[in-house]
Amino acid sequence: MIRRQPYVDGARWALVLVALVMVVFPFYWMVNTSLKPASEIFLSPPAFFSSNWSLDAYVTVLTQRPFARYFLNSLVVTLGTTVLSVTLAAFAAYGFTRFFPRGATPFIVFLLFTKMLPETLLIIPYFQLMSSLGLLNSYFALILAYSSFALPFSVWMLIGFFRSIPRDIDEAAKIDGASYLQTFFLVILPLARPGLVAVALFTFLIAWNSYLWALVLTTDASMHVLSVGVANMVGEYRVQWNELMAAAVIAAVPVMLLFSFLEKHLVNAITSGAVKG
Amino acid sequence: MRQWQRRRLVGYAFVGPVFLFLCAVVVFPLAHAFWISLHRTRGLATTFAGINNYQRALTDDAFWHSLGISVQFTGACVILHMLFGLCLALLLNEIRFAKTALRVAFLTPWMVAPAVGATIWLWLLEPQFGVVNYLLASNGIIDAPLAWLGTPALAFMSVVAVDVWRGVPFVMLLILAGLQTIPRDQYEAAAIDGAGAWQRFRHITLPNLRYLLVVASTLDIINTIRHYDIIGVMTAGGPAGATEVLPVLLYNTAFRGNRFGEAAAIGVLLLLIVLAFAIFHIRLTKPEQGSAP
Repeated sequence: MIRRQPYVDGARWALVLVALVMVVFPFYWMVNTSLKPASEIFLSPPAFFSSNWSLDAYVTVLTQRPFARYFLNSLVVTLGTTVLSVTLAAFAAYGFTRFFPRGATPFIVFLLFTKMLPETLLIIPYFQLMSSLGLLNSYFALILAYSSFALPFSVWMLIGFFRSIPRDIDEAAKIDGASYLQTFFLVILPLARPGLVAVALFTFLIAWNSYLWALVLTTDASMHVLSVGVANMVGEYRVQWNELMAAAVIAAVPVMLLFSFLEKHLVNAITSGAVKG
Repeated sequence: MRQWQRRRLVGYAFVGPVFLFLCAVVVFPLAHAFWISLHRTRGLATTFAGINNYQRALTDDAFWHSLGISVQFTGACVILHMLFGLCLALLLNEIRFAKTALRVAFLTPWMVAPAVGATIWLWLLEPQFGVVNYLLASNGIIDAPLAWLGTPALAFMSVVAVDVWRGVPFVMLLILAGLQTIPRDQYEAAAIDGAGAWQRFRHITLPNLRYLLVVASTLDIINTIRHYDIIGVMTAGGPAGATEVLPVLLYNTAFRGNRFGEAAAIGVLLLLIVLAFAIFHIRLTKPEQGSAP
């Protein structure tokens, strides 16, 4: 065994804690600011705690600014993209791994390329097409645009999961008289559930956090998503930082909580491909 | 109909929808982007411009300046992501207590939308009331508050710092997973031979991680060089173009300058750069094994 030395452990913990403070401090400051009344934002020195913490900024942001609407927009677009991508991806992953196992590899190379396209290039045709079709400011346009990055990703990941399900299972189902659709829905999908959950989560995360697409494809302020709504507040004449930070909390914390609870799924999904040499 | 023909048709029915959909949402827009890059729009009239847009981009100092900024930005960010990611992973790998909680905490910057993270940093770096200036001044590190995003050099450093803050967790996670695949007995054998911590790192950890480090840095280059959100929100390319990386130049050309043809040409050039790294990445990883997103 490698000897464990207490002072080495102590130094290690000290370094980890310093790094942790640097990583997490911006979030502490976000929450701290969001809870302060407007009168304490521009105090010098700034207060790390305040006895006047309240939820006023949240109430303002949700009632006097359209952040409840932005939350709804984010939710509709993100859920729409996730459901669409994962459903289509499940069919494709089943099709490729069961019917065209050799065709799957070139298809994956194609998916990898599409995953790496610069989104700044694609938003130009999207903007022109959607504006000429009169589809700017529609959920439809956003969901379509979001699936351009979400779909290649979901298909690529699900193919990996479906490959790990032995084909003998399909054969057994066939012998029992199941049709292809029955095999897919009743046998394979239940087996692929952990994979489906992981892919759905990840798709949800990247769609929720996306910014540029909605920035370009929504010109009407009521159709913005959260990320755009938050970033746009920076351009205001006199920025109300407590309200801005409350908006940031509304945008950030739900996904942070969701993913903290489901961390294991997420980590498996991300690292499954990369670390196998 | 024969059995195999029927089977093939069923197969097409399963993969067909995705194929058509990908053509509609990726291939067609991409082709249209090329088309735009070859045309010029003036008012309502669109005329064929051949390679004019490319010529204009390539003879414009702004493009070369922006390419230089992109190279510096990507280089600095990727090196720092890898360095800090490796250090953090090595530290965390030895810690047993509160393992999951620590990992989640370190992952938080990566879970937040880059645009929202950038907004939080705008407040932290605010010159007059920002907490960063306060902390540095009260510890005597700076004499007067700094305008972090006001001068070219500081602005560049600031956006790099924010990108590092956001990018390190992901690299850390990959390396942490890689560390767990290194067989424990290699370390024990080395310890019996009297190897110190540095020697174990140098001769066991590093060789085992080499492949992963190359894959992760290529992927990181691809993701960093095409990233828009952080700089777009924090500086929009300023001051004086000091942070105008290619994606930001492209956005500004299209949506502020209203020159879509030229912007698309810049985008195609950016695509070529990304493509070079993508080809390298794909040859390296062999698609059967896949790679990280």
